[in-house]
Amino acid sequence: MQSKSSKDSAESPADITEYYKHLSLFWTDIIHLMSSKPQALTSIGPMRAFAANSKKIAVELIEINENLLGFNQYITEYYKQLSDTWGISQKKVNQKVPEIPQDVEQIESVKRLWIDIFDNDFTELFDSKKFGANYGNLVSKELELTKHWNNIANVILQSVNLPSKEEVDEVYKEIHSLKKRVSKLELELKKEKRKNAK
Amino acid sequence: MLSKSNIDPKIIEEILKFSKNVIDAPKFVSAPDEISLEVTPHKVVQQIDKTRLLHYKSINKTKHKTPLLISYALINRYHILDIHPEKSWVRNLLEQGFEVYMLDWGTPTSMDKYLDFDDYVNGYLESSVEYIKNQSSTEQISLQGYCTGATIATAYAALHPENVKNYIATAPVIDGWKDTTVISNLAKHMDADKMVETIGNMPPEFMYYCFSVLKPFEQGFEKYVKFFKNIDDKKYVDNFLRVEKWLGDTPPIPGELFKQWIKDIYQKNLLVQNKMYVGDELIDLRKINMPMFTQVAVGDHLVSPECSMPLHYAVGSQDKTLKIYPTGHVGMIASSFSQKKILPEMGQWLSQRS
Repeated sequence: MQSKSSKDSAESPADITEYYKHLSLFWTDIIHLMSSKPQALTSIGPMRAFAANSKKIAVELIEINENLLGFNQYITEYYKQLSDTWGISQKKVNQKVPEIPQDVEQIESVKRLWIDIFDNDFTELFDSKKFGANYGNLVSKELELTKHWNNIANVILQSVNLPSKEEVDEVYKEIHSLKKRVSKLELELKKEKRKNAK
Repeated sequence: MLSKSNIDPKIIEEILKFSKNVIDAPKFVSAPDEISLEVTPHKVVQQIDKTRLLHYKSINKTKHKTPLLISYALINRYHILDIHPEKSWVRNLLEQGFEVYMLDWGTPTSMDKYLDFDDYVNGYLESSVEYIKNQSSTEQISLQGYCTGATIATAYAALHPENVKNYIATAPVIDGWKDTTVISNLAKHMDADKMVETIGNMPPEFMYYCFSVLKPFEQGFEKYVKFFKNIDDKKYVDNFLRVEKWLGDTPPIPGELFKQWIKDIYQKNLLVQNKMYVGDELIDLRKINMPMFTQVAVGDHLVSPECSMPLHYAVGSQDKTLKIYPTGHVGMIASSFSQKKILPEMGQWLSQRS
C-alpha cells in the first residue's frame, strides 16, 4: 500500500501551487493579525487601510501565478499548432519545388504556390475544433489575468477614494436603463403625434 | 577566382525596381490619415447617442416614392458602401433615382457596454424608420441590411413588418451552425460572458485578430507586395488605401449586444429556429412577409453562403428572390462587379416595388 508521504511527493503542479498559495496566505494572514495591534497604534486613522489593501493585492498576485500556469499551457499549444502547420506546409512546398527557381517567372509561380499551400493549411487549422477550443481557452485565461489586474487596480482606486469598476458599471447600467426608458417614451410620443396629425 | 553566376539578371532588376518603389512610395502616395472616406455628400439628419442617420444628397431626380434605409454592419464603419466614386454602392443607388439613408452605428465607448439587441432594433433602427416616415410622408420604407447589419434588420423586419415595404438582405448572418468560416469557429469556442464581464465592450483588437486569420498569407503578405509593385498606378493605389483605411477603422461592439450575438446566433443558433428574443419579443422569421431580396456571395469568407441562405427559406414572404454571386464579402458591395451586375439587378427589383 502506498504511504501518504509517497502520495504527496507525486502531487501535480496544481496541488503544489495550491500548497504554496495556502502557505503564503497563512503567513500573510498571521502576520497581518499579529501586527494589527501595534500597527493600529502607529497608523493614524484611514492609513490602516494600507495593510488590508496590501493583503488583497498579495492574494491577487498569488492567483495571477496560478492562472499563468494555465495561460502558459494554452499559449504553448497555440504556438505549437502554428509551428506544426508551418512545418507541414513548408514540406509540401519543398516537395513541389525541388529546385531553386532561376528566373522571374519561376519565382512568381513558386511564390503563388507557397501562398496557396500556406493559406489552405492555415485556414484548415483555424477552422479546426482543436484550434478553436485551444484559442477559446487561451483567451479565457488571458481574461482571467486581466480580471486580477482589474482587481488590483480597484484596490488602488479605492485607496485613493475613487470609485471601483463595479461601482462605475452600476452607474452605467442605471444610465442605460434610464436612457432606454426615455427613448421608448419619446418614440411613443412621436408615433402618437403622427397618428393625431392624420 | 569568381565563379560564373547563374542568376537571371531580370531577378536583380525586379528586386531593384521593387526597392525603388518602396523608397519612392511616400512621394507618390497619400498617408491613409490624409484620405477622406466621405465620398458622396450627405447630411446628418438625426443623432441618438453615438448613432447618426445620414441622408444622401440626390444626384438624379428621385424616381421612386419609397426611401431606402441601409443598416450597415457592426464591424468596421459604413464607409465601405461609399468607398470610391466609381465603386460606391450609395452613389449607384442615387443614380438609379432612389432616396438613400444610412444608419451609422458610431463608435461605442465603455459607457455603452449595456446596449443590447433591443436598443439597436427597437431603439436606433426604429427611431430612424420613424424619422424617415415622417420626412417622406410614407407609411413604409425599403430596408437593406448588410452582414451583421442584416441580422439587426431581419429582427426589425420580423418585429415591425408593417413599416417595411421591401427588405434586402445582403450577406446576412442568420444560421450560425451552418456558417463554415473561421470566424464562426472562433465564435463557437468563445466565453462571451467572461469577455464582457472583464473588459466590457468587444475590443477592436479582437476583430483585428479575426481578420488576420482570414487568408493570412494572401492578405498579410501578397497584398502589400502587390501594392508596392503597383505604386505608380494611381487608381489601384487610391482604391487600396481607401479599403485599408476602412479595414483599420474597427469600432468596439457594445458588450451586451456582443454577448447576445455570440451566444444566440453562433453558439445556440436561436435566430433561424425562431427562438431568439429581442427585449421581451420573440423573433419569428415567418412574420417577414414583405417582398424580399437576398444576396449572397459564393466566395464570402466572413459570412458563408450556407449561413445566409436559410433566411430565404425561413421567411413568410411570397415574393422573394435569392441571388448568388461569384464574388466575396466586400466584392459584393464595393467592386466593379457590384456596379455592373449586383446593383443594377437589385435596383431593377427594388424599382418595380417602390
